[in-house]
Amino acid sequence: MIKNTFLNFKHYWFLMTQLISRDFKVKYKRSVLGVVWSLLNPILMMSVMAVVFSQMFRVRVEGANYLVYLMTGIIMFNYFNEASTNAMTSVVDNFGLINKVYIPKYIFPIAKCLFIGINFLLTLIPWLGIILLSYVGLGEYTCHININYLLLPYVFLCLFLFTVGMGLFLSCVSVFLRDVIYIYGIVTMIWNYITPVFYSIEIIPEKLIPIFKFNPLYQYLNAAREIVLYSKCPSVYNLIAITLYSLFAVIIGGIIFKKNQDKFVYYV
Amino acid sequence: MIELEDVTMKFNLGIEKNFSIKQAFVNFFNPKHKKQKKEYFNALKNISFNVKKGEVVGLIGSNGAGKSTLLKVVSGVMKPTQGKVTVHGAISPMIELGAGFDMELTARENIYLNGSILGYSKKFIDEKFNDIVEFSELRDFLDVPIKNFSSGMTAKLAFSIATVVDPEILIVDEILSVGDIKFQEKSKNKMLEMIKGGTTVLYVSHSLQSIKELCDKVIWIEHGVMIKMGDAKKICEEYYEHQMQK
Repeated sequence: MIKNTFLNFKHYWFLMTQLISRDFKVKYKRSVLGVVWSLLNPILMMSVMAVVFSQMFRVRVEGANYLVYLMTGIIMFNYFNEASTNAMTSVVDNFGLINKVYIPKYIFPIAKCLFIGINFLLTLIPWLGIILLSYVGLGEYTCHININYLLLPYVFLCLFLFTVGMGLFLSCVSVFLRDVIYIYGIVTMIWNYITPVFYSIEIIPEKLIPIFKFNPLYQYLNAAREIVLYSKCPSVYNLIAITLYSLFAVIIGGIIFKKNQDKFVYYV
Repeated sequence: MIELEDVTMKFNLGIEKNFSIKQAFVNFFNPKHKKQKKEYFNALKNISFNVKKGEVVGLIGSNGAGKSTLLKVVSGVMKPTQGKVTVHGAISPMIELGAGFDMELTARENIYLNGSILGYSKKFIDEKFNDIVEFSELRDFLDVPIKNFSSGMTAKLAFSIATVVDPEILIVDEILSVGDIKFQEKSKNKMLEMIKGGTTVLYVSHSLQSIKELCDKVIWIEHGVMIKMGDAKKICEEYYEHQMQK
């Protein structure tokens, strides 16, 4: 069965690339800066949040460069937020196609996660820029690029898989209950606040910390920050957590999607 | 090539009525509505037939008889509620033309997008690109977004992409005439060429004339039930009489 799935995937890879390139072309159509926006956007967001939180609310994170801390959180959380939201509506948006031609339906959420993923990779350029600027005195602390950076692709891959799992699950549920699409915006907002994106987990009351650490996104953010801000290898516990969360999400999301995909056409 | 065994397709009409939390909430307090959930509509009932390699089979029946549903079941868009569908060979479904066209993209980009949706490989589209453009007569507009196309031009493009293949099994839902008079003639000839080229064909049409001309066999469906299958001319005549008597 796994071999079959793989062959299937290979066969539809061209379609996947076509869908992704369509998204790209449509997204940047008629904008002068085009793809530059993907680079500019996270910098602008980081700047605004940096001013708001470090100047107005006086948020400090002990021993870390706050700008890098913030930007790492923002790009990773935003990837998850955007990709899962887009993946959620992808099946419903493509009903016109699903109802006419046979296409494996999992293509749509995965194509969205990949499309936003390419965007994410672009945001790593300004992110790296900020890290390099910390060498010349941007922020209080310097971030040292170190050997542990080799682990970052793995952290990002796990985040990607977790997002794909969520995307498959959400896109499936939203077919049967469109309300999910509206509720999810609120859910991600709450999720944004309970994830230490702009604050440090240390400000949370001690009793609540285990609950906050249960949040998968905290684990992903934490792993990346350990590497980037503290030049450390993430703890074994941390690495196991991100691996298990991503596998769990992909497997559960995949099973739910596969079980229900044949019913999608009835809910067009 | 195509084998249907006891295929039944049920649609749950309750779904449409129970589609929001508000409705679900109302239904929860109003037990009467619960019964509506069990309202089924049989689009196809116990259909079994066999189409051999190279046969051209026509499907006839009134509007809403289940012809399009049958085509969707055969092409794999829908899974039957009951029964088994076995298809050997690559299917080229021409049920709807231009599936997945993106209005913002140019004709060139849409050829690749639509082609990939129809299951063509990149290599295949690269090879056939010129044929498609030639046939569609839209060479001058290749880099124009198709939102600026007239509906006729879009249809011509869609037709050209869909018919560039040499499929093993061809499923056609009455799309013979698109575009202007000249293109209509051209597209009709192209379809005839494809149908007569030895492929297995499932063909839906309301034109008994073209069915008699093209098909070896005819399946007559009414209200989701297969009434008859057999010689094209004989069944077309019976069907015509039956329709006129109503």
